[in-house]
Amino acid sequence: MNELKLAGSQSTPTVEGDWDAGVLRMSGDSYPENSFELFGDIITWVENYLSSGDRPLHLELRLVYMNTSSVRAMLDIFDMLESAHQQGREIRVDWYYDPRNERVVYMADEFKEDCSFPFNIAPDEIV
Amino acid sequence: MALASQHLAADQQLIEQIQALLEDPAQQDNPMRAPLAELFTLCESQRERLERLIRISDGYHRASREQMGTLAERYDRQLHRMEKLARISDRYQDSLRQLNESLKEAALHDPLTGMGNRRYLMERLKAEAERALRKDTAFSLVILDVDHFKAVNDTYGHETGDQLLCEIARIIPLSMRDYDVCGRWGGEEFLLIFPETSVETAAPIAERVREAIKQITLPSLAGKHPVSASLGMTNYIPGERYDDAISRADDAMYQAKQSGRDQLQII
Repeated sequence: MNELKLAGSQSTPTVEGDWDAGVLRMSGDSYPENSFELFGDIITWVENYLSSGDRPLHLELRLVYMNTSSVRAMLDIFDMLESAHQQGREIRVDWYYDPRNERVVYMADEFKEDCSFPFNIAPDEIV
Repeated sequence: MALASQHLAADQQLIEQIQALLEDPAQQDNPMRAPLAELFTLCESQRERLERLIRISDGYHRASREQMGTLAERYDRQLHRMEKLARISDRYQDSLRQLNESLKEAALHDPLTGMGNRRYLMERLKAEAERALRKDTAFSLVILDVDHFKAVNDTYGHETGDQLLCEIARIIPLSMRDYDVCGRWGGEEFLLIFPETSVETAAPIAERVREAIKQITLPSLAGKHPVSASLGMTNYIPGERYDDAISRADDAMYQAKQSGRDQLQII
């Protein structure tokens, strides 16, 4: 019930919400046909997590391409994180990118702009 | 401010004076006392009403000011969000466009030599064929095949073979005109296109290319393998399929091979 697992596809990211560990992972491209449906589930999970208990929340992102409605939904999520953080919640975002695609850094930087919680943007290790 | 408090003090003084008169036992039988008492009560209740009215009105005023402030703040926040959304979205779009361009570049170029590849050449042939038909002018083309290339690969290794192809790819355009087109047709074959130029004018250019290739020296060949190429040339006849012109040029190239290589043949 509290676990969120969405298998990714070409146009949707892989999403994994680990309630017990307090980690939300998202990776891949995001240009779904219905972004409200996809992000609705994710936003609900984040809302539920933030409103129950006071355990920290950690986002681990490996998002590559996003269409406009996905960007909008991510801004909503970051707004939720920001207000939780303002109320004293421990929040952390790690945004990893493929070092061969440095353009992602600029995008992640824009997202980071209004966030006062720790927000790290780092290249993924090449395996 | 000082004037207002002076007024207030005067008002208060008047009120106290009237109260004192109403309470004064000497004035109990004064016929003015009863109506004055009524007037005084009326005045007091009016004053209270007025103050209540002001309090309520001020309350509304404050509430509407606060609401306006909240709306303005919300508007600013939404605007900021919209701008951010547009900025991020534009960046994604930019990176897609750049990716698109590099894919297109990759799709039309030969990774080894950096020259236009077969797909690129086919696009150019199609465009030139259309232009020839429109303007009723011929253009000419050459199939160039490197002589004994297999021997280079077998004797000196593929790396040397690749080096030779790159050197030939570098040399060919230097002998051609700026608006001529060349690319790698496949293997050790190159295609040269001379737009709006018949074989009579283009043949000397093709000869120049052949001569330039003969001058190539690679350290890894150590002068033991003379470099040359066989060239087959033809005119594109307006209206025909460009494949037909290509196979004529191919035939001419095979004639050049059969006649001893390192030469240009025209059909």
